[in-house]
Amino acid sequence: MKLDLVHDIQTAYRKVIDSMSRPGTVSDISDEASKVAVQTDRFPSTAILALMFLDTEVTFKVFSRREEEVTKWINGWTYAKAVEADEADFLFVLADADEVKMKTAIDAAKAGTLMNPHESAVLIMETDELNAGTELVLTGPGIQEKQLISVPNASAWMNKREEKNSEYPLGVDFIFTDAEGYVLCLPRTTQVREKVMM
Amino acid sequence: MKSHYNFAFFDEGSKREIRRATLKAIAIPGYQVPFASREMPIARGWGTGGLQLTLSLIGKEDVLKVIDQGSDESVNAVNIKKLVSHTAGIRSTEETEEATIIQSRHRIPEVPLKSGQILVLQVPMPEPLRVYEPSELETKKLHAEKEYSGAWVMLFEHIMKYGTAATGADHPVMVHNRYVMAPSPIPRFDNPKMDHSKALILLGAGREKKIYAVPPYTRVKSIDFDDSPFRVESFEDKSCRLCGSTGVFMDEIVDDQSGEAVYQCNDTSYCLAQMNKNMPVGGTSNEQV
Repeated sequence: MKLDLVHDIQTAYRKVIDSMSRPGTVSDISDEASKVAVQTDRFPSTAILALMFLDTEVTFKVFSRREEEVTKWINGWTYAKAVEADEADFLFVLADADEVKMKTAIDAAKAGTLMNPHESAVLIMETDELNAGTELVLTGPGIQEKQLISVPNASAWMNKREEKNSEYPLGVDFIFTDAEGYVLCLPRTTQVREKVMM
Repeated sequence: MKSHYNFAFFDEGSKREIRRATLKAIAIPGYQVPFASREMPIARGWGTGGLQLTLSLIGKEDVLKVIDQGSDESVNAVNIKKLVSHTAGIRSTEETEEATIIQSRHRIPEVPLKSGQILVLQVPMPEPLRVYEPSELETKKLHAEKEYSGAWVMLFEHIMKYGTAATGADHPVMVHNRYVMAPSPIPRFDNPKMDHSKALILLGAGREKKIYAVPPYTRVKSIDFDDSPFRVESFEDKSCRLCGSTGVFMDEIVDDQSGEAVYQCNDTSYCLAQMNKNMPVGGTSNEQV
């Protein structure tokens, strides 16, 4: 079935909002994602997010071994402009990007200013599989007490993220996607700790 | 009905812009994110901020409730409800439990909100510091520096003059211990409902072009002093003349002739539900109304 740019994007948006307002809540956008006809191995859920938020008013940057190809796809579908990482409103760190690229992306991302903390980047990070890997404990707004999540290879970004978000309200907001069409969000307010084994 | 408008009135570009602002608003609780604020078929100041949020959120499966000062049937509420249901073809309701999106002016419903619901509040004056600082640039600086002594001085002056906080509605709150926020002109009675709310709360100011948010389970504290703590309006020893409820927010109605004051629930759908509950099975008695 063809992706409905009005209704499918709307249902996916509500799930993303749910995940962003309740950090750690994994939302399923696989229905919507399955309708995206993508030629590359980029996750369809990542494409849904691009279609949801990007247009001529914002900028983006792709971190991937196939940067050129993916950049062309996003630009072609959304008309958003590709720029350098430190200017981009949305940073896409795809599954094939190595750890160095991931760290470069977080380092370079806009964190906003004290007067305009909203002028900061959203990092969209592809992981192999949400609900697997490093066990993490989340606390902060949107979480009743604490929330347990599992994200693969969290050590690659955890410290960098903490560094980047150390001066609240400055910081960047993360949206993780996976191959199955799941989405998980970590806004800047969320404190992430590795789960300590008892 | 055959509609000549886009689904939910807006073009997709407008929705995207509002959605981007909403995402940032949730990520920075209490911070006012500027947005473009479209021209709407109702006048600015009549709930266009809330309306724009609602239209950016709403989908085919949603059930909408709109209230204006506690009433489902006031002109403003009815018009907004009509506009949304005509352009999105969705169902509206008066029952708080049934609604997925609740757009409200000046009240948070009496029935506790649930997880999964979104409360959209219409905001006339999003800037809590505007009372003493007219410049937007300056208030942005004050927020940046977390310089809120002015807000407390304002409260102090109330207490010195009137012996109590005379804020009435829109008593400023501190969100996530960072931003002082205008909760929109809800009565003080509703302020505690924002603290660790189960539902996501989004606030939209159409004329002032701001969107801000309180995510669920977020600390929202009404500003006060240790020796003069925050107090909600008291309706002790008052009960609703229609349904008999106590402990809810009530309107005072003064009889012109006798000069006597009577009280009734401000939340009309809550009042109606209570009255229906009080009816004997079979509904033979309607004398009490």
